[in-house]
Amino acid sequence: MSIDERTKAAPPAKATARRILPSPVTGQEFVLIGVIAVLWVLLGIFTPAFLTPNSIQPLLVSIAPIALIGVGMTFVIITAGIDVSVGGAIMLCAVVVAKTMVSADVPLFVALAIAIGLGLLLGLINGALIAYGRVHAIIITFGTANIFQFVALRVFASSTVNGIPGTLDVFGRGEAGRTFGVPHSFAITVVVVIAAWWYLRHTAGGRHLFAIGGNANAARLAGIKVQPRVMVAYGLTGALVGLAACFIIASGTSTLDQAVGSGKELQVIAAVVIGGTSILGGRGSVIGTLLGAILVQTVTSGVTQLGWPSQLANLFVGIFIIIAVGTDLLRERARRKS
Amino acid sequence: MSAETTLATETYRLELRDIVKSYGGVRAIRHADIAITPGTVHALVGENGAGKSTLIKIIAGAEIADAGTIAFDGQLRSISSTSDSIALGVQTVYQEPQLFPELSVAENVFVGREITKAGRVDWAGQAAQMHGLLDTVGLPESLATSIVGTLSIAQQQQVSIAKALASDASVLILDEPSAILTDPEIEVLFTVIRRLTAAGVSVIYISHRLDELFRIADAVTVMRDGETITTRPIGELSVRQIAELMVGGVLSESRPKDAGTSGATVLELTDFSREGKFSNVNLTVRAGEIVGIYGLVGSGASEIAGVIYGMDKATSGTMAIDGTPVTVKRPSQAKKLGIHLLPANRSSQASFSFQSIGLNIVIGELGLLGRIPGFASMRRQRAIADDFIKRLAIKTPSEKQPISAMSGGNAQKVVLARQLVRRPELLVLAEPTQGVDVGAKEEIHRIISGLADEGTAVLVVTSDLGEVLRISDRILVIKAGEIAAEFTGEATQVEILAAAAGADPDAEIEIDIVPTAQTETPT
Amino acid sequence: MTLVNETRPIQTSGNKKPRGQRNLASRALEALLTQRVVLLAVLIVIVIVVMSLLDSAGRLSGPYDPDYLASSLISAVPLVMLGLAELLVILSGRGGIDLSVGSIVSLSGILFGMAYGEWHLSFVASLLVAVISGGIFGAVNGVLVAYIGFPPLIATLATYYAYRSLALVISDQKPINSKEIQDFYSAAQSIELPVIGGSLPLVPLGIFTFLIPTALIVWFLLNKTTFGRRLYALGTNDTAAQWTGINVRPNRLAVYALSGVIAGLVAVVTVSQFASARPDAGTSGNGMALPAITIAVLGGVAITGGIGRVSGIVLATLLIVWLNAGILLALPGNDGSQFQLLALGLVLVFASLLNGLTKRKYGGI
Repeated sequence: MSIDERTKAAPPAKATARRILPSPVTGQEFVLIGVIAVLWVLLGIFTPAFLTPNSIQPLLVSIAPIALIGVGMTFVIITAGIDVSVGGAIMLCAVVVAKTMVSADVPLFVALAIAIGLGLLLGLINGALIAYGRVHAIIITFGTANIFQFVALRVFASSTVNGIPGTLDVFGRGEAGRTFGVPHSFAITVVVVIAAWWYLRHTAGGRHLFAIGGNANAARLAGIKVQPRVMVAYGLTGALVGLAACFIIASGTSTLDQAVGSGKELQVIAAVVIGGTSILGGRGSVIGTLLGAILVQTVTSGVTQLGWPSQLANLFVGIFIIIAVGTDLLRERARRKS
Repeated sequence: MSAETTLATETYRLELRDIVKSYGGVRAIRHADIAITPGTVHALVGENGAGKSTLIKIIAGAEIADAGTIAFDGQLRSISSTSDSIALGVQTVYQEPQLFPELSVAENVFVGREITKAGRVDWAGQAAQMHGLLDTVGLPESLATSIVGTLSIAQQQQVSIAKALASDASVLILDEPSAILTDPEIEVLFTVIRRLTAAGVSVIYISHRLDELFRIADAVTVMRDGETITTRPIGELSVRQIAELMVGGVLSESRPKDAGTSGATVLELTDFSREGKFSNVNLTVRAGEIVGIYGLVGSGASEIAGVIYGMDKATSGTMAIDGTPVTVKRPSQAKKLGIHLLPANRSSQASFSFQSIGLNIVIGELGLLGRIPGFASMRRQRAIADDFIKRLAIKTPSEKQPISAMSGGNAQKVVLARQLVRRPELLVLAEPTQGVDVGAKEEIHRIISGLADEGTAVLVVTSDLGEVLRISDRILVIKAGEIAAEFTGEATQVEILAAAAGADPDAEIEIDIVPTAQTETPT
Repeated sequence: MTLVNETRPIQTSGNKKPRGQRNLASRALEALLTQRVVLLAVLIVIVIVVMSLLDSAGRLSGPYDPDYLASSLISAVPLVMLGLAELLVILSGRGGIDLSVGSIVSLSGILFGMAYGEWHLSFVASLLVAVISGGIFGAVNGVLVAYIGFPPLIATLATYYAYRSLALVISDQKPINSKEIQDFYSAAQSIELPVIGGSLPLVPLGIFTFLIPTALIVWFLLNKTTFGRRLYALGTNDTAAQWTGINVRPNRLAVYALSGVIAGLVAVVTVSQFASARPDAGTSGNGMALPAITIAVLGGVAITGGIGRVSGIVLATLLIVWLNAGILLALPGNDGSQFQLLALGLVLVFASLLNGLTKRKYGGI
């Protein structure tokens, strides 16, 4: 029995289509844009140096890796998972690429391929363990974090990697890293964010991630291939880690030290949750993640520029996490009541 | 098997033969045969643990049989995943709506089978298909964009059915669909089912409400202990016969309780109301009396229980315990007043799944575990637990076993024991035998009667018609938040159902409903 | 009246044959796979045996003997204690976790340093400062989680940042090294046990003054008090806990406060071990929270709540500490500390995979 026999003549499809499209934003984005705008205005008033290219450009460069990895982390958290191994993965990808560049003067695209390929592999390892191993993501990624760090430290062999050539400078802080004043790494990040936003809203695969995070069992029963999708989320995160590692090398000096990547996983998670993605899964926004990363880095940079002790930045990050997630909770509660 | 010749059809829509399934060392299905004719409603009944859910899971592709064959329209098929069965036209609507609370109704309907155009989801195409679909299941069109998490449970189930319809199912499996629906909603459900079967869809209908089957089913298969015992056209069996086949014995006749004398009034509700849930409820329960409130989900019955126990607040009216007006603000206060409550939904509201039976029993009265307040001794816990295991005939090798390893009936006894550790003055039982097999059901009813005989005031809130008739001294029928009728002494199922539906008992109710245990054949 | 025919026993999930029918070997295997404590004990024995073999083969840079094992226990003190803190919090369910314990160690450590080293309060008073401040910091987490409804990961992530930053700000990034603090080092030394000490290895004092009391108190709390029973209940199903009359929110707040109290104690231990109150004591490197959570998970705590025991925490710590100690002898220097990372990672991955596997085979937990 076909469904046509049960329906009457359909109204204009376009009007209804617009109605059943998932919302493009979660609502948190507007709050964040407002807060960021206010912060920038205030900083502009109290430290005029803030709104100059000299200050904004490095800011954008510092935002790029966090936001980039944040896109992958958003995918992962939407599936009700998490990945605390990205710090270790950054370290590993960075040291492998750096050493390769030092020992064999490889061209840019080879360096990128190595970084992204390695990152993808690490992400797929996580994905496989989580999708097929029936273990909680937080536990297994604590484990792989240690393993990645171990391998990275072995590759380092000494405390630093010196003499890194400027192959990756196109992603760096210098003149080579900019076009029309916009840092390339930031521009690439924005492109990735937009592509991810489109994927999450307009493709079945993207919508399935929300389904998996909302009710994994129902997803399986509905015929969604849960395990491959989960692997995609973690694999993507890994690949983005690889790319971000290149950005990080480029924005540093010609020396890479072992602290690279340290603590980054928490920074990325902070950006994601501030951006309005629910840690419980099923709901999220990559645009929010980008804004969250902008907010966190603005706070960090602003604190330095105001001449305050730089550690205060962390305090503000903590406070912003509370405020951001708090408003998200309030919004959710209001929506449930209606 | 003789079952096949009785049904007298040539090609079955779905046919399973010689199915065997084990988990670990346990045979969930010893041997199952089932054959579904196109365009019929085929009921599947059996106690918990009989193998119904496993059989359904095999059909749905959520499990794979160890042995046996599956055939669709005469063709042998292999189902090794849910996508396989979905591709063959099987759709399942589970008891717990398997929906995505953060996605819209429209998305939920299409999830897993999105219409795509060049990689992107074709929203316009999906919108066109949505049109009229919600109407068919009795939901307003405007709900298409609502987020599923904001809908009521009954509405969510309707969405599940819409989802099944949208996929052009050829076999629709409904697992206990009426458990959460009100009577008008059940009527809509049956209308939808009849429309489907008229168009050739086969429906497999699982239900514990044996009386319902006579309203909707064409054939019934009874399972027991992992085997399909028999398959017959619905007209050939009575409710009693089906129940006996399920249990493997002959049901006892007599009511388990003598209507004894009752004592002082323990609970009195006057004009008791909670805005939006129930209003102007007047009822009394005396010591030694069992008052039954019959009401389906949404009628307000379970909300009354919740307010009496302090989980919610009344918005007007008074409640008195032993003559003294009280306002119960929280469960701990209710317990101090001697009010104990067995929650309706065991898995979400009562069971501490991987904790021991012992902890599950004593958790309500931790103060009894130690001489000094705040301290708890395992010895005392064990003693209390063992005592109740004996008293309530709970089948377990030890009180250390986790409650998750028990059958529904035994687990329910554990939760019931919890309410009895300190003898209550007023015992409120919400759906006391939901999800419990026939044998344990009878034992629990006997326990409840015994309590009343010893002087406890008992209030049973249930949507099980047979239960409320068997066990109550007085029956109150709740409909739409108000007491619709009160029955003392004899009452028939027809009268009670009518009161619950708000209809005239002499008109409209189809004659072929509810043959009671006393009659032999349905008309 | 009863049924004429007896109903047959209902099949239960994921079962084995009745006890009497299974031989000792298969029961032992099941115990090994499902009882985390058994598995840990076996692994500890394996580690000791392997390391001793390597020792007698001359492959180690130092003797792997009881003296060495006892002295290596000094790192077990903060680890077991924070592991117990995480045990309490994770047991409470609803995604319970505490990422901020390291930061509380830093912050309470600084406050202790100020009290003892700069304001010259008595030791007891300073200890109280550390413990009470830790409790307050933990209670903040508790309010956010239990009363406002923040997911614990988020709340403790936020306080991780906040407390960490406060520690550095109020100490002006400088450790407190006054004389009293430096003398305090003696509190962390190994001592000879009275009476029987002659034939036993030297055991760090902290084991007796901090670790054992804390472990005993937490054990007592969990097993012998009504609070402990309530905690297991609300960690398993807090809706059902409400229906039994348990007031969920204050109980949940209490565990986060307790976690903070323990972190406050660890702060004092850390100050004594370094003879200095450092503002990054709990947050340098990977921080103290990560190893603590690892210990908890290794020790058999279910990340969803309701399952976990003190014995698991203690054994998991012993395993890690003695394994690390052995690695340090087998591969001295940088190599050693790197392989410790690997060991920790591998043990964690395999232990959780094992958990997932046994879930399938034996059902239940």
